[in-house]
Amino acid sequence: MSVEQASRPSAFGERLPEWLRAREVELPGLGTMRLVETMVLVVVGLLLAIATIDDVVLQTHVNHRLVADLSTWRSHTGHDYKNVGVEQDIYGHTTRDTVCGNTKPGPPKERTQICLQMTGPVVGGRREVHGGWYLPAKSDDLRTVRYGCFGAAIAEGRCPR
Amino acid sequence: MSAAAQSVGSAPRARSERWAPALAGALALVLLAAAAEIVLDGAAGHSALIPKSPVIAGWLNGVGERLGFRVFLIALLASVVAYAGLVALTRHTELGAISKRAAIVLIGALHVIVFAGPILLSTDVFSYIAYARMGVEHGLNPYLHGPASIVHDPVYDYVGQDWKHVATAYGPFYTLLSYPLGLLSVTAALWGMKLMALVASVGTLVLTWRCARQRELDPVWAILVVGANPLYVIYGLGGAHNDLIMLAAMMGAVSLTIGTTSRGREAGAAATIVAGALVKATVAALLPFMIVSRRRLAPIVGAVSMLLLGALIGYAAFGIHGIDVVSALNRDAAFVSTDSFAAEIAHLFGKPGVFPVDHDLLKVGLVLIVLHLLWRTWRGYDWIAASGWALLAISVTSTWLLAWYILWPLPLAVVTRERRLLIATLAVQGLFVIHQMTPLLAPVS
Repeated sequence: MSVEQASRPSAFGERLPEWLRAREVELPGLGTMRLVETMVLVVVGLLLAIATIDDVVLQTHVNHRLVADLSTWRSHTGHDYKNVGVEQDIYGHTTRDTVCGNTKPGPPKERTQICLQMTGPVVGGRREVHGGWYLPAKSDDLRTVRYGCFGAAIAEGRCPR
Repeated sequence: MSAAAQSVGSAPRARSERWAPALAGALALVLLAAAAEIVLDGAAGHSALIPKSPVIAGWLNGVGERLGFRVFLIALLASVVAYAGLVALTRHTELGAISKRAAIVLIGALHVIVFAGPILLSTDVFSYIAYARMGVEHGLNPYLHGPASIVHDPVYDYVGQDWKHVATAYGPFYTLLSYPLGLLSVTAALWGMKLMALVASVGTLVLTWRCARQRELDPVWAILVVGANPLYVIYGLGGAHNDLIMLAAMMGAVSLTIGTTSRGREAGAAATIVAGALVKATVAALLPFMIVSRRRLAPIVGAVSMLLLGALIGYAAFGIHGIDVVSALNRDAAFVSTDSFAAEIAHLFGKPGVFPVDHDLLKVGLVLIVLHLLWRTWRGYDWIAASGWALLAISVTSTWLLAWYILWPLPLAVVTRERRLLIATLAVQGLFVIHQMTPLLAPVS
């Protein structure tokens, strides 16, 4: 541990009892303390490093899925739209994502939308579509406004009726 | 030692004296090229990395292409590698890798490049201008209202979406310092903010040099570690963050305390810390360590005097809300950024994010660390190193972590002999950079 010089006690400092006065050098007997501190620092550093790398891997998987989801939606619908909404499970609990976009050209959400539900691994840059539903124009993807469920979405009760 | 042995020993040294400056020069060129690439491409606009802004770097337009994540991250990585190499190389002064003049030219060139370019990576500077214009142009108290109260002001469109309804969290000294810029056009105010950041950065580096020399450490190495640091240059200076003003005050205070027993200087140092905290509160973390280390009345008197003066000015200018630092800190402590280590650890353990209980645990952890550091300082440990550790602990335990927050301990780390502090600070910065790399590994088209 570094030992830096402290200032000489002032008149006020000199009136203090010895144990209260400013120290010019650090008290001895902290060899073990330095070792313990260093070990704690290493452990904390390892935890932070593992958490950082884990998060990068998680985000990388999410991005891979996002690219595949967009590509799958475009190939399924035949529309090469840029503004397509994606709702992802970004914490990796499942691989189920939902991608919604217009059925006809127009500003985002300004036309009837088709939503596709995708799960499973990325194969050849695409993912498997398990089902989906439609949304009216100017609507967010809420269960109450969904209609025309198809595929696994029917059995899962994704639409209100 | 015989002449033959001397000649054998001096040969490798002579070789290293030849290649070390050449290698240092190459690394310095990489740093300059990476900064120039980011600035020139950033000047082309239309980039997610460049906040919407009045055109201030139009004269650079046409040289670069739109700044994408890929180019930015490659440039950032190249900077980090070159910086690490330069820091390692210049650590060994006997190699003579870089002269004092070369170091100053490199840091100066990096500063000029970034100063000449657009605002990088953050909309914060527009919040600073908005708060100034709220007070000066619209007669509104920036401690009570967010920029959303001036929707028709020309600066409003540039304020970050997350901050439009948020009142200022900065101290009254900073708000008053920014008020003259509120009288100017947004473009002129932006240049004013950039100039303030530049001057603060130069001040920080000059004071770092002075502190290192006073403590018999290599000042050239010290200013290189701070002034060529990619996060300091690209994020801190590039974003014109007021953290640089806080750092200048911090190093001013440290400089006043080194090698002196003068009560006046110690009182001045404590007053400077409080003045810095009235710019941005974080720097107040140094005060308990200075007081515990000195154990004299002078720092307490200096701190209390400045606190009273600041409270008086803050109250007169902004009312009770201008001095209610605790509310602002409590509000900001609740924010969560994806880059915070707290969020990363939460994801590691399968949690979707940071919960209130995690905030409490982090606060307890921070308190324990500060108490340990105070105890060490009481026993004679270097208070400057202890302050650096405290600032590092604040940034690591914060749920709202931004690149310029992990700059706080850096100038302190280079003016102490506690090497672990510098290693830990640079390691945390390294992890932050690694965390930015996802778009490089998995680009989204």
